Amino acid sequence: MNGSGAVARYTLLELSRRRILLVFFIIGAIGIIALGGGLKVLYQVAASNPQSFASGSVDAATFNHFLELLFVSYVFQALAIFALLIAYAIGMTAIYHDLDSGSAVSIFSKPISRLAFAAGKILAAIVGLIVIVGLLALEARAVMFLFGGGLENALTGQLLAVVANAIVVMLIVLSVSTWINNILAAVVTFIYYNVVTGIIATVHMLADGGLIGNAAVRNVFDVLYWLVPHQLVSSAIRDLAKAQIEIAGGATSNQALASVPAPSGAGDIAWWGFTVLAFAGLVYYAVRRRQV
Amino acid sequence: MAGVVSVQNLRKRYRRRDPWAVDGVTFDLQAGQAFGLLGPNGAGKTSVVKMIAGLLRPDTGTVSLFGSDPGNAVARKDLGFSPEDPDFPKFLRASEVLDYFASLLGLDQAERRRRIPETLAFAGLEAERRQIRQYSKGMKQRLGIAQAILGRPKLLILDEPTADLDPMGRRDVRALIERLKASGVAILLNSHLLSEVELVCDTVAILARGRVLKEGAMAEVVPEGSNLEDVFVRLVEANQPQRDHLPSFISDTTP
Ligand SMILES: Nc1ncnc2c1ncn2[C@@H]1O[C@H](COP(=O)(O)OP(=O)(O)OP(=O)(O)O)[C@@H](O)[C@H]1O
Ligand SMILES: [Mg+2]
Repeated sequence: MNGSGAVARYTLLELSRRRILLVFFIIGAIGIIALGGGLKVLYQVAASNPQSFASGSVDAATFNHFLELLFVSYVFQALAIFALLIAYAIGMTAIYHDLDSGSAVSIFSKPISRLAFAAGKILAAIVGLIVIVGLLALEARAVMFLFGGGLENALTGQLLAVVANAIVVMLIVLSVSTWINNILAAVVTFIYYNVVTGIIATVHMLADGGLIGNAAVRNVFDVLYWLVPHQLVSSAIRDLAKAQIEIAGGATSNQALASVPAPSGAGDIAWWGFTVLAFAGLVYYAVRRRQV
Repeated sequence: MAGVVSVQNLRKRYRRRDPWAVDGVTFDLQAGQAFGLLGPNGAGKTSVVKMIAGLLRPDTGTVSLFGSDPGNAVARKDLGFSPEDPDFPKFLRASEVLDYFASLLGLDQAERRRRIPETLAFAGLEAERRQIRQYSKGMKQRLGIAQAILGRPKLLILDEPTADLDPMGRRDVRALIERLKASGVAILLNSHLLSEVELVCDTVAILARGRVLKEGAMAEVVPEGSNLEDVFVRLVEANQPQRDHLPSFISDTTP
């Protein structure tokens, strides 16, 4: 589209000069190294003590595997949090700053359509998010070499899920911040996406797991569930929970895993695609209606 | 000569309970014409030019820009718009802003390489390496004018272009307007500097509270022996309630 490439290019250049993204990235990067290094030191301390693995309840390999599991599950949480922070940081500024500063006045007087502008902004926001979260994930992947390995695919799957979820949040913030103040937009998005949707998804999951008996409640939440965006979940979350239970010596059952989200199915992924299109459409609509 | 802008019965208010910011404005602008849009603060000048540039939607009435709706991107191909209080993406440098806007204008690499340094030099910003967020008001104003001429427009809208400029900048803008006018570019100028308007514009419209009080060729509006400022002040004051000019606590002689 005419002009959307230029909008995307210069929005990315601006993002790369924004200190807050750099700060998020550095904190994330240091956190991952510290976490991996710390767990590895823990292992070394345990291994250097001959008594540690003598009793026979855990051998060195199992312990190492356990630490790696621990690391990966923390990394999953950290990636999800940082992806969300970065999605908010980009979503709150990519379009809003142009509107708030008045830059949009000069930009919109140029021969660029609002569609091309919105497309360029969305493209830049998504690329920015993927680059930052991707670099953090690469770093986590490198740290995993410290351990035995074997969980790399889990990391990739979870990375995809985390980025996919963050894109939805970012598009919501982008569109809402085109109408209202960006801090309000973040609050509105947080309430909609992280609170309301979170509650609906959790109740729906519990109902699916058989923990809610009342059929009427189950039906209501079945309907609500398909009115809100779905957080995508990779199979890694359940695999990890299963492995942790096994390492602790327990037996895995459906009951024990009921509160651990099941991997997203094709329906959820299709629904995700639909929500991305819908919210991208909303961004365009907001940009188009906007007077500056 | 072909009509560049045609504005018919334009009305606009920002919110339903507000008074009309623009209340039935009609005028035409031809190629090679320099049109001065004058009026007191809040008269609606900026609102009118923003509707012409497709930035605001009129409530009623029509705007035609080169024969099309200014909401269409193609209609703005030959428009240069220098906003009042211009601002730009604050983490970019002037050369980057111009390259960004040159891309939006569809200029190819060769044209960009030729025009951007010359435009920066015209604006006196060729040696400036800092980002926009470190610019002074006048520097932003200079960049605002620079980006408006980058596409070699056939219509140049200048909304108070010299308000923040130093004397050299003002002289440059005056020369720019003269030069463009001579080459057939239409100019739409909003300004409070009436002596300047009197020098460069051949047609003026005086606006107050959204309505055109007077419009015509400069020679008609300003009679022999008078000047534009006198005409303006008389006209505007006749159309608004008289007021004391100083607060009483200032004008009171006894403290
Ligand atoms: N964004 C806005 N929201 C609400 N009202 C606005 C907005 N912009 C302008 N107005 C109102 O519209 C009217 C016309 O404003 P406008 O900016 O067009 O005046 P102007 O003639 O350009 O004034 P100035 O000489 O001070 O630049 C004013 O009453 C103003 O309060
Ligand atoms: Mg104004």
